[in-house]
Amino acid sequence: MDVLTGEHVALRPLEPGDAELTLAWRRGPRARLLLDGAGTVEEQRAWIASRPPTERNYVIELRDGRPVGMLSLVDIDLVNRRAESGRFLIGDEEAVRGVPAAVEAMLLLYRLAFDELGLERIYGIVAEENRRMIKWQRYLGMQEEGRLRRHVRIDGRPCDVICLGLLAEEYRAQAEPRMRALIAAAKPRKEMVG
Amino acid sequence: MIAQLDAVAVEAIIIAALEALNEELDDADKIDVGPHTALFGVDAEIDSLSLVSVIVDVETALSVDHGLEVSLTDDRAMSREVSPFTDVQALKDYILELLEERR
Repeated sequence: MDVLTGEHVALRPLEPGDAELTLAWRRGPRARLLLDGAGTVEEQRAWIASRPPTERNYVIELRDGRPVGMLSLVDIDLVNRRAESGRFLIGDEEAVRGVPAAVEAMLLLYRLAFDELGLERIYGIVAEENRRMIKWQRYLGMQEEGRLRRHVRIDGRPCDVICLGLLAEEYRAQAEPRMRALIAAAKPRKEMVG
Repeated sequence: MIAQLDAVAVEAIIIAALEALNEELDDADKIDVGPHTALFGVDAEIDSLSLVSVIVDVETALSVDHGLEVSLTDDRAMSREVSPFTDVQALKDYILELLEERR
């Protein structure tokens, strides 16, 4: 699996050696709205080592090599040309201050999905109360396709999730231009005019 | 309707979007909202998820409340020497510029 390199971040394959770091991220308050995962470092390491070939799991790294988050493309179905995006988390918010890490990481994943793998559709689910993420995904082109009632438990409570989907033509018409715009918004102006 | 939107009104729309954002953030992540709040970039108060939340709320307010359809993240916005998302003032100035063109 190749490293996907952008202007500000790179996606490099998740490895068992990332178990401690990624588990720490998942235990942080910002991951409260993600689905439950491993409970120990060993479980996390075993989980990473057992990822099937239908998944592309990445660590988001800044260009200086600092790991700041993770992102995955899972259930890749090359027959039906679809996959699910998920496990998206910026674990080190301070490190990405002023860096469009989340946007570019997602753009790199979409480029992999639509441009390299030739997929027709990306989909995902987001907990209903994760309103900022839903708003973000919709602004970047995802369409709301439905609701799964009491699909997950968050903080011990049953929670609905919102189903989102993005088609290849929607990616090219809306998602990709808006992502490039948001990435440009973070650039120091001297880079824009130089 | 558009003619009634002056600098004060536009700033109020942006401030309202930031206050709405604060309602969604955990206490530790809440931002100081004011006319000079930095938005996105090296001095950012907010991350890209929050920036999009503000953009959506501002665009919605301009459309629903004032009949003004604008895209704040088109190529024109991104090619400006000063990013519209540097801070509240820069975003206000950019919106006012768009309004002026439509008068």
